[in-house]
Amino acid sequence: MKSVDEHWQALVTTALLGTDRREPPEAPQLIADLVADTARTTASERMLAQVAATTAVRRAGVIPGPPLDELAMPDGDDRQPCVPAAVDRWHHITASWPVLEDEWILTLVTAGWRIAPELLPAMLMRHRSDPVRRTRVMVGAGSTGRWLVGHVPDLAARHPNATVTPEALAELPELPIAPELAQLVNRPGAESGGVLAQSLEDGTLGHPHRAMLINLVARVRADALLDIADILGAVDSISPGYGLATVLGDLATTRHRMLDELST
Amino acid sequence: MGTSRWSIEQVESVAPSAAAITAAQPLASPARWTGLGADDAALWGSCQGSGSEPYDTMVDHQHVSFTCTCPSRKTPCKHGLALLLLWVRDQVVDTPPPAHVSSWINRRSAKRTASSRSTDVGSASSHSAPEAAPEAAGSETVDAGDVIGESKPTPPMPQPDRNTARNDRVQRMHGGLTELDRWLDDRIRTGLADPSLARYATWDDLAARLVDAQAGSLANRIRRLAGLVGASPGWHDDVLAELGLLHLLSQAGRHLGSLPGPLADAVATAVGWQVKQADVLAGVPDTDHWVVAGRSDVREDRIEVRRHWLRGTSSGQWALCLSFAAYQQSLDTSLRVGTSLHADLHRYPGPALRSLVGARYALPVDPVTPPSQTIAEGCNEVGSMLVAEPWLDRLPVTIRARLARSGEVWALADATGSLPVLNAGTRQFDAGLAMLLAVSEGREVDLTVEWTPHGVVPLSIHLPDRTIDVGPRANTSFVSAA
Repeated sequence: MKSVDEHWQALVTTALLGTDRREPPEAPQLIADLVADTARTTASERMLAQVAATTAVRRAGVIPGPPLDELAMPDGDDRQPCVPAAVDRWHHITASWPVLEDEWILTLVTAGWRIAPELLPAMLMRHRSDPVRRTRVMVGAGSTGRWLVGHVPDLAARHPNATVTPEALAELPELPIAPELAQLVNRPGAESGGVLAQSLEDGTLGHPHRAMLINLVARVRADALLDIADILGAVDSISPGYGLATVLGDLATTRHRMLDELST
Repeated sequence: MGTSRWSIEQVESVAPSAAAITAAQPLASPARWTGLGADDAALWGSCQGSGSEPYDTMVDHQHVSFTCTCPSRKTPCKHGLALLLLWVRDQVVDTPPPAHVSSWINRRSAKRTASSRSTDVGSASSHSAPEAAPEAAGSETVDAGDVIGESKPTPPMPQPDRNTARNDRVQRMHGGLTELDRWLDDRIRTGLADPSLARYATWDDLAARLVDAQAGSLANRIRRLAGLVGASPGWHDDVLAELGLLHLLSQAGRHLGSLPGPLADAVATAVGWQVKQADVLAGVPDTDHWVVAGRSDVREDRIEVRRHWLRGTSSGQWALCLSFAAYQQSLDTSLRVGTSLHADLHRYPGPALRSLVGARYALPVDPVTPPSQTIAEGCNEVGSMLVAEPWLDRLPVTIRARLARSGEVWALADATGSLPVLNAGTRQFDAGLAMLLAVSEGREVDLTVEWTPHGVVPLSIHLPDRTIDVGPRANTSFVSAA
């Protein structure tokens, strides 16, 4: 007695050739009972009925394949994965404020977190080409990162032999900031925020300075961020710098929250 | 065409080219139109184009005719297509037609009546009813040269009988299914090695005829089937199985009257019988705390389809909420994977999983994990759903399993067996699979997956403190799909 699977293989062989060249196979009783009638007179009609019935039977009888061996697991990592809010923040900053990404990963590593596993594929894929960032991600990923790359070759580094100095790994990249703005980097938030708000309101600073201003807010001292966000949020809505002030305020708030989520 | 709303596929079928649909998409926004309206016979509106005056556009959606004051020589022009797209998306309100629209529709009716009389006179020996003849959507008379406002006094036509329209539609569908079965028979006679199977026209022509016959779902299956030819070493198996299911549906669709009610509804839905959303929402709701267990986005032709799989906390029943988006449109983002929604769901007719979300009673909250089971138990659950509807090609199931490898192919496994992961061995990079691998680190986790005949697609990982959405995601350069 043919099994349903054997019958299916016979049907496929017949279908390849076509019923003009080969008669449909004889169906096992289970299928024959389903398609038994006298209405189907041609070979192709009988074949189609068998194909339909056999497909339905095979689908409804879906069964698992054989059990498979377990994968070897990665070595343990004592560090806790970063919190879900930090995961969401990474997605937000890579979409809206990529200037903050280096600080995100450096802060994470310094604070003793490891990268949450759900972030690893995206981060490894994003930093396949840049040796410094790639190395930081691998440090943050720990043994799970190496294990993952071993299983998913698409995530491997493009330049695996590139050397990275410890200094390059530990330092934030320098961002260009005009000298008159650079002096605000280490000032208290009330002072630097006040200067920024005043300059945006009177038009001294505007969209031509946007890139420099973003770099400035990305590098001001961390304890200045909330004050800066508050002061920029109070810029006169009819002044020419209102839009830019809103943008910079959002950056300051985002950076403050990012650092807060990654604090130990 | 009847009085029911068209599908996107029907709009595409009347477009002179794919480029015409692309050109119409930016105009298919209510902000571009004034005086939009629709009734059982027509659509109308004025679109601000490149000229100083807006273009007045009218579409007879029952008998497929277009008129527009724009200078385009294409019929239908992009304004007509845009108007149809708006209507399909439920962005045109029902309202009494203005005088020039009534006049245009009446003139067209009068012409058809006159034409019908002359046909009857010319074929006096034939007693076949002309109304029953299947209409090809693209072959109707197109009055591109009609002038708006040119009003010839014509007697008001009676309202079309809804039963007549429905019967016409059933007749067309029946004709389409008969043609499908003939086509299937030809494929089986000549064999799967026939070179014509490799030509897209072999499939596309049939799909277009099925759209005309208002069997849009079958047309979609045919287009998907065309993509299977030569796609894998075992494509003959896949194509033959799908041909068998198409035969099953065409046979069942032609004998709806003799099927039990729920099965007849399921077959009609699978064939493409359109049900108005309002009718679904008017049905008895299924109220529960619905866990949004998984999500998957799949591009089907030029439409992105988002599936949200919901599971009732009390009932344990699955439900499917679909959303669609063409280029630069938005998919539904209101259902977030890993939350629970206290709401009414309204199911489509029959035992279908497809549902619409009705009243929502509270904001979504973090859920309990849907109950998981072994792989063998999951197969039983899928099998029992397939006994009822063997043509279903995506079904949800929550299992507890780990990733494993069978040669080059990734699989989900536990002590009871394994299930291959869809295409994972051949895809360039599967972000969802990599995320599952990273999160599980090879351990067993609770997962909601989508079963397909060719393998399972991991959709979400249910951890004790959160759910991670790993389902395939739409390309955001094509649609908005946060």
